[in-house]
Amino acid sequence: MPITVNIPTILRPLTNNHKRIEIAGFNVLEAIEQMERQYPGVKEKLITDGKAHRFINIYVNDDDIRFVNGLSTSLRDGDSLTILPAVAGG
Amino acid sequence: MSMNRILTGCMMTGALKNSPPDFAAIASSLIYQSTALGMKIMPNANSADNAALSFEFKTPHTTPIMCGVTRWDDTSRQASVTENIMQAACGLMSVHGRASGRSRPLGLNYVSTLTAALALQGGAAASIGQLRGLSVSNSSVSMASAALLSVGQYIAGATASESPETLLPDRISRPACLPFVSSDGVIFELETLDAGPWQRFWTEIGVSSTVAGRGWMAFLHRYAKAISPLPEELASAISKLSYSHISQICIRAGMAICPVRSIDDRAKDDDSKHVWLQGPWEFVFEASPNDRASTHVTNDLPLSGLTIIESCRRIQGPLAGHLLALLGATVIRIEPPGGDPLRGMPPMAEGCSARFDALNRLKTVREVDIKSPAGQAEIKELARHADVFLHNWAPGKAVLLNLDHDDLATINPSMIYAYAAGWATDSAAHSPSSPMPGTDFMTQAYSGVAKRIAEASGTLGGSLFTVLDVLGGVVAAQGITLALLNRCMNSAGGKVTSSLMSASTLLCADDFQNLYSLPGPGALPKSVIDNVYDTKQGKIAIECCDVGALVRLTEVLEVAIDVQDDLEQCLSDIFLSRTAYEWADIFEQARIPSAVVIEDLADLQTTAHLQPGLSPGPYTRVNSPWSFK
Repeated sequence: MPITVNIPTILRPLTNNHKRIEIAGFNVLEAIEQMERQYPGVKEKLITDGKAHRFINIYVNDDDIRFVNGLSTSLRDGDSLTILPAVAGG
Repeated sequence: MSMNRILTGCMMTGALKNSPPDFAAIASSLIYQSTALGMKIMPNANSADNAALSFEFKTPHTTPIMCGVTRWDDTSRQASVTENIMQAACGLMSVHGRASGRSRPLGLNYVSTLTAALALQGGAAASIGQLRGLSVSNSSVSMASAALLSVGQYIAGATASESPETLLPDRISRPACLPFVSSDGVIFELETLDAGPWQRFWTEIGVSSTVAGRGWMAFLHRYAKAISPLPEELASAISKLSYSHISQICIRAGMAICPVRSIDDRAKDDDSKHVWLQGPWEFVFEASPNDRASTHVTNDLPLSGLTIIESCRRIQGPLAGHLLALLGATVIRIEPPGGDPLRGMPPMAEGCSARFDALNRLKTVREVDIKSPAGQAEIKELARHADVFLHNWAPGKAVLLNLDHDDLATINPSMIYAYAAGWATDSAAHSPSSPMPGTDFMTQAYSGVAKRIAEASGTLGGSLFTVLDVLGGVVAAQGITLALLNRCMNSAGGKVTSSLMSASTLLCADDFQNLYSLPGPGALPKSVIDNVYDTKQGKIAIECCDVGALVRLTEVLEVAIDVQDDLEQCLSDIFLSRTAYEWADIFEQARIPSAVVIEDLADLQTTAHLQPGLSPGPYTRVNSPWSFK
């Protein structure tokens, strides 16, 4: 069973307007690279210099990957990957 | 040249000092603001009008603008209101109550202060319109429009076409546990805008990374949703440590910490009295040849034909730009390459974050990398032809970007350079320990506003409703409008700075005036009855400002006045016999200020008397608070 990725609206122009896609990968980086092969342009929206953008939060199920192993966070079949903009400040 | 009393020679004429009780807090704030600007206040015996508060705004170069402040946009509706009744009727109590599990008032004259600032700004904007060829002599705002404006983003979230938020105060299972409390009893806020310091901090406290991560998501969402359902483990772990110990961990982790201070504490700060006397804006002007000031209006809005360059993120700055757009200005919003990431923050409406769109829908977007020399050159070229440059960057960033006031004044001396800051209007003034981000919740804590709210709400700290971001945005827009008026009258370009902290001083102006024993309108008398009650269905807010209203209430309810000791309990029991809407009808007939407490913000769009202030669409939009004729 693959990984389900919930695509934020802002990235949907790159994913043929798909809200959810299914992808394979043993960790978050692999999943993003797999997405990039299918939907070119996605990776640069999420990663700079080998790290997730500061203003993007990536969750594996309910866990923010920054608090697990970052882009090396492991994925298992059936996991859900969610990408959300970070909101902060006043 | 520092010149804060920029409306010296201008006059405000009206019955401000003997206004009806509904409008007393608005009149008090108007007097404070106009005095700080140097205006002469003249009484007007003829304007004892119970339906509206009105005043004339007059400059030496314009005919008087008649400024009206009504309770509702629907002027046929005359239901009595007060500050708290308006907070109840327009959803503000609900947003504030999300974090504590019950709709409740802020305990501050918040809607009144916003209304006063918008009314004064309306007079200034209409005067600018006149000077630029517009035939305008009236400006009006309502308390309801100010209240709706304050919760515009939350209304957008609750009515978005895709997955709207339903955040009802009494149905949120785990209320927030903010602010934190140390083992030695200090109540404090933490702040960071990055995950790294948060993670380092909680790791040192001994909380697992997984729990800290879940807390981070909740912590971030407090800005957007006014809730912060943090894992219990966080408050529990931190409560075992002293404030001093926690502060040391903050320094090592890069986390900011601020105790919840009182107004008394704030009043003792070096800059506090100066800020009170100055008002919430600091103006610096230089006489300049003024080719832009002579531009004419291009439609029937007073700032039409003027161009604002806005480089702001989040709430305070974008709201300021939005208000100027509502007054007709062309606002060019600078966003980073790829666009502002907050465009994608759910809930969405037609491909854009509803909350984001609520503050930015009227702007033209230009994507510019302001950190690059090419981007800075592009900004300077835009500024060359602009009337206002507005930013809310962190302190010191403008200099690093070569986009400070001096840099842009060289290119366009007649431009107004506006800074919507966090902490201080005056860079030389006292400010708390420097690394502290000037965000809403930190400034609420530092300024005394949080404690005021806590005392009124029976909570530990301030509101997760963005109290100061919204007021700070209104104050920033107001300061810019005043600076533009001064430019029209005196051919001067310059700089206006406002801040969340200066907005907090405006909000609590009466408290500071009392503490400093300074002359002024002073604090208003406390209401006899002011509470929210459960009914058979829904909640009702009632406020009796004086004994007369209390007598009418007891007559309607057939309650003997001599049971006053038990009156609250007696009222609580009686109100359970009818629905909130039934009671509201009864009290409207009896001229007792009351309102059904709006708990679900989606209900606002179907409330008949609020319709003039709202527009349906992919999310419910809040209309301009001003009307001119």
